[in-house]
Amino acid sequence: MKGFGKALSRTPHQLTSRMGMSKKSTDAEYNDWERKFAAVESASEKMHKDSVVFRDAVTTLLTSGSSFSGSLATLFSPIGAEYDLLAKFPQAEATVKNISAYQRLMEELRDTLAPELELIDRQIVQPSKELNEICKRIRKTCTKRDHKLIDYDRHNNSLNKLRSKEKKSLSDEKNLFKVEQDFELASGEYEHYNNLLKTELPTFLQMATRFVDPLFHSFYFMQLNVYYLMQEKLQSFADGKYDLERRDIENIYLEQQGDVAEQLDNLNITHRIASTAKLLQQSRGGAGLSAKPSIGSKAALDRKESVGSSYGGRTVAAPPPPYSSSAGAASAIAGKKAPPPPPPLKPKPAVAPKLYCTAIFDYEAQAQGDLSFSAGDRIELVERTDSAEDWWTGKLNGVQGIFPGNYTQVD
Amino acid sequence: MSWGGFKKAATRAGTQLMQKTGQVERTVDHDFAEQESKYRTMEKESTGLQKDAKTYLDAMRTMSSSQERIAETISLFYTADKASEGAMAGHAYKAAVDELDNVVTRDLDGPFRATVLEPVGRLNQYFTNVNAAIEKRNHKLIDYDASRSKVRKLVEKPSDDTVKLPRAQAEHDEAREIYELLNDQLIAELPQMVELRVPFLDPSFESMVRCQLRFADEGYEKLSGVQRYFSENIRDDYANGQLDVQVENVLAEMKELAIYGV
Repeated sequence: MKGFGKALSRTPHQLTSRMGMSKKSTDAEYNDWERKFAAVESASEKMHKDSVVFRDAVTTLLTSGSSFSGSLATLFSPIGAEYDLLAKFPQAEATVKNISAYQRLMEELRDTLAPELELIDRQIVQPSKELNEICKRIRKTCTKRDHKLIDYDRHNNSLNKLRSKEKKSLSDEKNLFKVEQDFELASGEYEHYNNLLKTELPTFLQMATRFVDPLFHSFYFMQLNVYYLMQEKLQSFADGKYDLERRDIENIYLEQQGDVAEQLDNLNITHRIASTAKLLQQSRGGAGLSAKPSIGSKAALDRKESVGSSYGGRTVAAPPPPYSSSAGAASAIAGKKAPPPPPPLKPKPAVAPKLYCTAIFDYEAQAQGDLSFSAGDRIELVERTDSAEDWWTGKLNGVQGIFPGNYTQVD
Repeated sequence: MSWGGFKKAATRAGTQLMQKTGQVERTVDHDFAEQESKYRTMEKESTGLQKDAKTYLDAMRTMSSSQERIAETISLFYTADKASEGAMAGHAYKAAVDELDNVVTRDLDGPFRATVLEPVGRLNQYFTNVNAAIEKRNHKLIDYDASRSKVRKLVEKPSDDTVKLPRAQAEHDEAREIYELLNDQLIAELPQMVELRVPFLDPSFESMVRCQLRFADEGYEKLSGVQRYFSENIRDDYANGQLDVQVENVLAEMKELAIYGV
């Protein structure tokens, strides 16, 4: 409350002095020291803040480096049942071989630098914080001095006003004594603080220099050590593995890049999927084209099969739907609305129970139970459906199996 | 979401509920499940990789830029006495960290982005489309399961309407065709994509090591020159902990000042 009263009594004076109505004294010498102190004050605050930033940046560098190497190590080792990654991608051999050493290195680096970071915290961050607090207390003294200066000016003004009054009333005379006393007191207090600051601020500033010298030197050696330890560890890792004469990181990267990006881009799944209607159309269209004598290839057959879905998924590694292309299942789907691809040759409708057909293309078994044959073979028909777009059962050279009807012509 | 999309989502939610209660049979494709789980591992690690690489680059830049600011701050302390030995060393330090920051922004930031950050990012971009393909496959699977169960019900309990069964059958066939098309594509291509991560990320590994080494190299090289401006005993004083004692002593002296305790 006392502080509030003081503030209230100082306000009118501050207003009038700002408007130039009352005199305001200045002390150039003090102001000079105060300016220098303000510089150190803000420097101590910045020092504290930036040393924290630096310390945290090193910590982040180390932790992110170590977690990066962890992810990389996982990515370069087989995921699930991946065999022979190296046989497929021999160019990555060095990486796969080195990755666990690298992961260890990054963890080691993190551990090696931990005490260094602690040192930064204890010897740099803490002391600069302490300096900052000292500055705050000194700032308080400066503020006090400024207040006393206001009091001094205030009382000085009222004293001067009273003195310069030509006709003094009785109360003025009485007041004069009191005002004189107030002025004396204010001037004493102001002088005290002003002189104190003027003598001690230079000492403080000189101390600040003595403070910053060892702090700066310590900080410098700590930073140097951080880089040194990183450099040493990384150098020992990279030595003998990479051509360290070369520094054109980007060119080296480009030389090794190869066409993998293209391969990735060529996959269908890496692109936005078209509407399913379009997909279906494509696959059906593709089947039409695939009905050429090159049919033996697996890809062509795959596409073909997705059309006549009665035997869908036959050659796929693990088909979810049942495979048994028995006559029952087949005929259930025989009436499908899907437009069949143009068959190589129109099979004659089966009239007679005389059961032979001649192969017009080579066919190689795609799954167990398939019947292989070459063009020209005569196959005894065991079971057939009305549609040539279906799997028939036949016998050749004593072997019984199923085969795509449209590969043959019924005799 | 369009009205059509909403209707589909609602129907599928119903089917999923029925699958949970066992009313509709659920198709499980172990082959697909295996490929998907491999892909998920890769997705997770690769996403982590991108995040860590970004953090690493930012940390390098923060290190050098905070050193620059520290150098400026140190020169502030010496404003009162610009010719002192400390001020000279501070000046050399400032020049060194300026150079370091230049190297980082000019020679390190670009290559790091081009050879580590961007490639990993490019790989990760594909995940959106692959995830969409997987989601679509899952939706079509639900449709297929639903249509199969519909056909079965009609077979077990034939409807009076003779058109119903053939129509359901046709719907079933189409649902299956679409599902298999998508499923087969994923089963064929997911392992290819997962495998390609190895050759794709391989060159970035060397680049990463090179960037890290370059940063440490430059930092060490640029900074070590500053020592020349220190008096001879300072290195030993640092090693002996003398410098810390000095700092502590000065702080204690400061606290004895009258202006500290008023």
